[in-house]
Amino acid sequence: MSTFSGISTALSSLIAQRQALEVAGQNIANANTVGYTRQRAEATSVPSASVPSMFSTGTAAGNGTRVVGITRMGDVFLDARVRSATSSASFQTTQAQNLATIESSFAEPTDLGVASSLQTFWSGWQDVANAPDSSAARTVVLGNAADLVAKISQGYRAVDTQWGQLRTTTASDVTQLNTTATSIADLNGQIRSITVSGGNANELIDQRDVLITSLSSLVGATTQQRADGTVDVLVAGNPIVTGNRSESVSLLGATTMGSGLGQPPASSADPVRLQWTRSGTSLNLEGGSMAAKMADLTPTGALASTATMWNDLATSVATSVNTVHQGGQTLGSPPTTGVDFFSLGAGLPAATGLQIAITSPDDIAAADPTKGALDGSWADKLSQLSTAPDGPEALYRAFVVDLGVQTNAASQRATVLESTRSTAENLQLSGASVDLDEEATNMLAYQRAYEGAARVLTAMDEMLDTLINRMAV
Amino acid sequence: MIGRVTQQTMQRSTLANLQLNLSKMSSIQQEMSSGKRISKPSDDPSGTSLALSMRSEQRSYTQFARNIDDGLGWLSAADASMQSAVTQLRRARDLTVQGGSGSLNAAGREALATEIESVRDGLISEANTSFQGRNVFAGTSNSAVAFDSSAGYAWNGTAAGTVERRISPDATVRADADGSAVFGNGSTSVFALLDSIAADIRAGVDIGSRLTEIDTRMDTMLGELSGVGSRMNRLTTAQGTISQKLQDLQINLSGVEDVDLTSAIVELQSQEVAYKGALGATARVLQPTLMDYLR
Repeated sequence: MSTFSGISTALSSLIAQRQALEVAGQNIANANTVGYTRQRAEATSVPSASVPSMFSTGTAAGNGTRVVGITRMGDVFLDARVRSATSSASFQTTQAQNLATIESSFAEPTDLGVASSLQTFWSGWQDVANAPDSSAARTVVLGNAADLVAKISQGYRAVDTQWGQLRTTTASDVTQLNTTATSIADLNGQIRSITVSGGNANELIDQRDVLITSLSSLVGATTQQRADGTVDVLVAGNPIVTGNRSESVSLLGATTMGSGLGQPPASSADPVRLQWTRSGTSLNLEGGSMAAKMADLTPTGALASTATMWNDLATSVATSVNTVHQGGQTLGSPPTTGVDFFSLGAGLPAATGLQIAITSPDDIAAADPTKGALDGSWADKLSQLSTAPDGPEALYRAFVVDLGVQTNAASQRATVLESTRSTAENLQLSGASVDLDEEATNMLAYQRAYEGAARVLTAMDEMLDTLINRMAV
Repeated sequence: MIGRVTQQTMQRSTLANLQLNLSKMSSIQQEMSSGKRISKPSDDPSGTSLALSMRSEQRSYTQFARNIDDGLGWLSAADASMQSAVTQLRRARDLTVQGGSGSLNAAGREALATEIESVRDGLISEANTSFQGRNVFAGTSNSAVAFDSSAGYAWNGTAAGTVERRISPDATVRADADGSAVFGNGSTSVFALLDSIAADIRAGVDIGSRLTEIDTRMDTMLGELSGVGSRMNRLTTAQGTISQKLQDLQINLSGVEDVDLTSAIVELQSQEVAYKGALGATARVLQPTLMDYLR
């Protein structure tokens, strides 16, 4: 055992304590960094070189301490849980938001909605029935009809606009998806080379995990850990990132609602869809906000059913009114029957193609042809369409209530899933986030240990001083 | 939650709780300031369904009330005309009785005949009464008059052309009176009858038997008059029912849609207390760390 071995033992401690203090410093510096996972310097004692041999030097103390690595205190299972919770929460939240946007375009139950316009339209017919000779009452019916037509067309256009916006944001989501996948692949490559050379890639791993979580929120990504420190990212079962290579996804399909849903003027649907750029196989997302957006863009989504409702409403208003109106007699000279009140423009969706077919108030057929020129019974018959069990009003009311139920249920589900996500995130954070008290305590411990090691060094120094300077002088 | 607690988890949960409190407060404030409990269908889907159908019903009943007002106008006009027609016909009967006494000279008979003719003119003007430009006794006709004295007192109405007013989703009430039933039509009309009585008086023919004809006509008129009266009665009853119904609808609609201010204010108060508490806790909790006590 060397005379000076004690000095190197003290030195090893000084180095180790300083390194540990630096790690604590790094932790404190990143106390509020998003995605940062706390780290800890792992120290181990260095045993004495006691080789059982002829020249063995007998019992000796160990050779001090050594920092063998800096551990990242993350938990892959908690991380995976956060990702799956994020994926379903963001799917549900996006769906609830889309439904709420659709709902807000309805303005029900107020005096501004279509229900109110329909009621005004029907009761206007009663005024014509009361005074078939009054051109004022007839003009009011035409005005009410124009208001109704405008509101139906506005409702449809609101859906159209929302579809267009959703299509645009989905396109930018796809760009973000591809960029994120490339970044993860790059980070994988860097992490692998650092890990292979025995370095510390903890901060890069943190960055990668943040990106993977954002990918989960976008498309519901899952991961597979590899032995070389890289992570494979899977979307709907297929790898989007493998080692340092990434795949890209492209968005195909119509850019306007008409052709996206196969509604006039388009003759057939060109649905919006995702596919893997390289292989050309289609990609059906299972989670994340993009899955909700894609679902709403399809011909079976919430926007499609709303657009269909507007068209059905327009058709129902036009056919039910026309069917009755044709049997009535107008006030013009000569009085005629078989006049259409509404017309549906060809080559347009019914909701935007709906128009009033007559121009003169006298063309309104208020009279029963058998009952004299100033009869109003036909107008009364038209006003009775308001209570028809399968009439426009019933159709509209049923849809609004159904939409309310769906929106309500979706937002409640979103709240539940969001709280699941936040619980998972809290669990993750409780393991991974920096506790300042803990770091302060650690700092204290390292500082004291450092002082102790320095004291050992001083003692050694004094001993050697005694040995070298004071003896045989 | 069992686990490690750090400044960051504490900060997150505090923020989340504050956000929750604030959003609850905002929703209560929105309810209070708008006065509506349901501002969109998802607030209460079943309430929305009720509100929509009640609004629709409210609108139809308001319209029924208007229809009834209009119908009452028609029926009052018909009633007044018929009352006056009955009075005038009674006068014509008296004159006919006088004319049948046989003690009159030619000048007296001429005077009687002229008076009967003037009664006839009065009846024609009653029969041609109009309400808001429409013939009360010719239903749905657009002719200028109900009875054309220049065309043999022909009635211009259509037999099936009744004027109806809708008073409930499934009931209508006739608002006009059938002119051909009240006054007769053409040669069988009360005007033709009076004409021929006047002619007989002038000619000195015995008119004793004509009294029964006048009586028959009078009975018919009175019958129609009581019909008009009963219809007015029906409208007035319906009016009362509808105004009651409208009030009930308003109360029910308000119960479904409107916010209960008292409970909303109490809720807001307690929410405010909770929010203040959360703020206070945040201010105390997030301040100290071990760093504050080390030196």
